[in-house]
Amino acid sequence: MIEVLRAGLCDLVMDQGRPGCGALGVPAGGAADPAALAAANLLVGNDEAAAGLEIALLGPSLRFPLGGVVALTGTRFAATRSSGVDLAWNETLVMTAGETLSLERAEAGCRCWLAFRGGLLVPRVIGSRSTFLPAGFGGHLGRALRAGDMLAGGMPSGGVRLLRAQPPPGLEETSLRVVAGPQLGQFDEAGLTAFFAGTYRVGAASDRRGLRLDGPAVTHARVELPSQGVLPGAVQVPPDGQPMVLGWDGPVTGGYPVIAAVVTADLPKLAQLRPGDAVRFVTVELERARVLAAAQWEIEELA
Amino acid sequence: MGKRARGQSHIPPAWHWINERGLRIETGDATLAYYAALISQELPEIEDVIPADGSLLLVMRRGADLSADLWATLVTPPLGLQASKGVLHEIAVEYGGIAGPDLPELAEQARMDVATYINRHTAEEYSVAFLGFQPGFPYLRGLPSALHARRRASPRIRVAAGSVAIGGQYTGIYPAGGPGGWHIVGRTAAALFDPQRETPALLMPGDRVRFVPKDSCS
Repeated sequence: MIEVLRAGLCDLVMDQGRPGCGALGVPAGGAADPAALAAANLLVGNDEAAAGLEIALLGPSLRFPLGGVVALTGTRFAATRSSGVDLAWNETLVMTAGETLSLERAEAGCRCWLAFRGGLLVPRVIGSRSTFLPAGFGGHLGRALRAGDMLAGGMPSGGVRLLRAQPPPGLEETSLRVVAGPQLGQFDEAGLTAFFAGTYRVGAASDRRGLRLDGPAVTHARVELPSQGVLPGAVQVPPDGQPMVLGWDGPVTGGYPVIAAVVTADLPKLAQLRPGDAVRFVTVELERARVLAAAQWEIEELA
Repeated sequence: MGKRARGQSHIPPAWHWINERGLRIETGDATLAYYAALISQELPEIEDVIPADGSLLLVMRRGADLSADLWATLVTPPLGLQASKGVLHEIAVEYGGIAGPDLPELAEQARMDVATYINRHTAEEYSVAFLGFQPGFPYLRGLPSALHARRRASPRIRVAAGSVAIGGQYTGIYPAGGPGGWHIVGRTAAALFDPQRETPALLMPGDRVRFVPKDSCS
């Protein structure tokens, strides 16, 4: 049992999402960095697929009336435990009965993931416990957490092991690696130069549906484009030339030309961008993108 | 490379990648037939198949490669496996008034009176080409060319759930309220999408739709 004393800016129950529903117009969604949530789950002895919390920019204050075992991954937030015990990221944490965990502001980046031993027991909707805010379903009542919410945890099995996780390397690099997109040919020389040489700022109107970018206009032939299936990371360019990077809860089809798409290995970096951050793009070959995608978290026993 | 279909020379459809997981295949008029063929195969490397306007997006599982089976499916024209004729749905629509604020303007653009416009819109049997934009939002093919209309220059901030709309060569229905750039001609009470239902989307690709005008006071 977890009691929400104070809600953060946008605390969402997430798991690995609901892939396979694109034909219904439903995106896969799920944790913006699914590997980070999976790692947090492993740290508390859960299956990787268990539901935890995705916390953005400003975190919640959570009380554990019966205690519990938790773990945090993703970007570091200012955080305290009511017991005064030090709190580390990427490690198994044992909360005593009645203890409170308070997350304040993200020190850098945007999102962290909090796993609870036993997982969060919200109902599965279309096969997943992930919140899908645009349509208000999944997660805890289809919405972000509020003060006073009580979250039920599942029954843990097996003993507790104290573990530490190590994220895959390469996430410090700030530029986003992309593979050229299917409509690359619709962009003129000036448009391509603007996009690949320019620096963009993440716009204020960015969320899990997509990141809006402000910067050099990407010009292109404005031919009518039939709607095509799209993925998180696809960079669409609307008529005003300001690129939009599709997020995890974005539409499954889009009618704007796709100039490039962020490689899967760099989607965790996308998850950490916040309004005002600078973004640059560098191209990689498809084969390189496949190699990069193989990078994994490592889990080891705490000495 | 892959085997050719028996007795036919067939060029595999053109494809492009959207990062290393999205394989966009140009399937043209055979989109739903390819969709049916790919879904029925249950290929382990495919996480999702998203039909769209003349193309399919295959979402590959992380780390998966194209298999020989997938390649064989792509180079074999899915002629024998036509998309089965989908379920016919009759959708009751209240046209015009508050339910369809853009109807008078659209009728004028199409140079017909409102009653004729409604007749033309209800006379056709539409087919669900694909779903997108919102969960359960159907792109319906079959709109008479006289009714085609470019999207609104500036999208509405709020379109009511159930709004029946015209966008380009498509007609569609907004399952939920929210912003929208299509022209609104009417509204239905049908629940287009309900995540708690066993089949959340009322209309599926390949299904057929007829709009039935609801008697209104006007």
